[in-house]
Amino acid sequence: MPPRRPTIRFRQAGPDLRDLADEDLMASVYEGDSHAFEVVFDRHADAAFSLAYRMCGRRGMAEDIVQEAFLSLWRSGAHYDRARGSVRSWILGVVRNRTIDVFRRDTVHAGRDVNAEDAVERMPSGDDVPADAERRSTAVEVRAALVQLPADQRQVVELAYFGGFSHSQIAEMLNLPAGTVKGRMRLALTKLRVSLEPLAGAATLSGGTA
Amino acid sequence: VSPTDLPDHDCGADVAAYALGALEPDEANAFAVHLKTCAVCRDELAAFRGVVDVLPLSAPAHRAPRSLRRRVLREVRSPRRDPQGAGANRPRTWRLPASRLGPALAGAAAAVVLLIAVLGGFSGSAAPVRTIHAQVTGPGEANLRLSSGHNELVVSHLPPPPAGEIYEVWVRHGQSSPVPSGLFSVTSSGSGDVDVPGDLRGVTRVMVTPEPSGGSPHPTHAPIISASI
Repeated sequence: MPPRRPTIRFRQAGPDLRDLADEDLMASVYEGDSHAFEVVFDRHADAAFSLAYRMCGRRGMAEDIVQEAFLSLWRSGAHYDRARGSVRSWILGVVRNRTIDVFRRDTVHAGRDVNAEDAVERMPSGDDVPADAERRSTAVEVRAALVQLPADQRQVVELAYFGGFSHSQIAEMLNLPAGTVKGRMRLALTKLRVSLEPLAGAATLSGGTA
Repeated sequence: VSPTDLPDHDCGADVAAYALGALEPDEANAFAVHLKTCAVCRDELAAFRGVVDVLPLSAPAHRAPRSLRRRVLREVRSPRRDPQGAGANRPRTWRLPASRLGPALAGAAAAVVLLIAVLGGFSGSAAPVRTIHAQVTGPGEANLRLSSGHNELVVSHLPPPPAGEIYEVWVRHGQSSPVPSGLFSVTSSGSGDVDVPGDLRGVTRVMVTPEPSGGSPHPTHAPIISASI
């Protein structure tokens, strides 16, 4: 059988690869460099798994979602467009989208009942928290910004992003007019934009390690 | 600033919901069209997307299981055994069950070499990718990428499928009935890709229709994407 890529290069994932930015690694991934892919995986698998687990609440399902997301990345690395954001944002977007697809397929959405009051910390941290201080710091900042939102605004953001619900579904759940839900979303994102501006800029513009 | 750069209604109300992927599909489609002529909404959306991009970082951190890493890397490092071989470890929900695939696809495991010959001179591992631009009804773009041993449909800026539905790929031989090939959805930015496995000899058209979640054995909607081979 011919190989999947025009050229598949195998080499050791040495310091040279691990020093590269994500965007540069993606060029090697497209060429079939499995070690470049390995570096990308190692950088972002934890965040991808955490997001999937946060959304669906089932470990096995989260593993399936992340596996498929990364294999999709391997097969279509050429379609990463750096103009549209960081590799990390791209990967996490794929993970979120695939999780929502699973929600749509399942009749039982065990993980979708995102509770507004405890959504931010709904999943247990456990003993396997990555020892990456920068990532922990970033997570703390984002959580703090969310917690600072008025509860009704945080609620609609959590339900939409992590629950995968549309504004109409949220309006029905909360017995609110659709316009109110969209208005709360806008207020919430406007406030988050201010409080997370440095972080959001860095996440969008830089590749680097997660 | 031209008149078309100014919002002619309360369009800003939809920006946040769009950034969060929370608009209904028809609303998202309409808003995507609106974005083309509204610089105000484009700017606000760009800012909101920066925020939405960091939201997942608030998820409590868990380390991805080592077993997951092994599975993914084993798949990546293994030469593809056949067009559907790479799907062996995929989640069950991402593929139509084999029993629902038509005979043309069910028997396609060994057809890659023949496919290479038929599709125009691909030879060896250095074969180029042949890209066929597909016709898209409505917003979005789609390209069918054909290369040795790997065919895929790649979409961009495509609106999400309607609620409760998913996009289904079909291959058609001449005037025969379309055969289901796979299911896919798109990211919040409208990007997506799906393998088109199997022997494409004699295939004259690859199409996409929105179908109920889980897919359909026969198309129930008109194609929104159509690529002629």
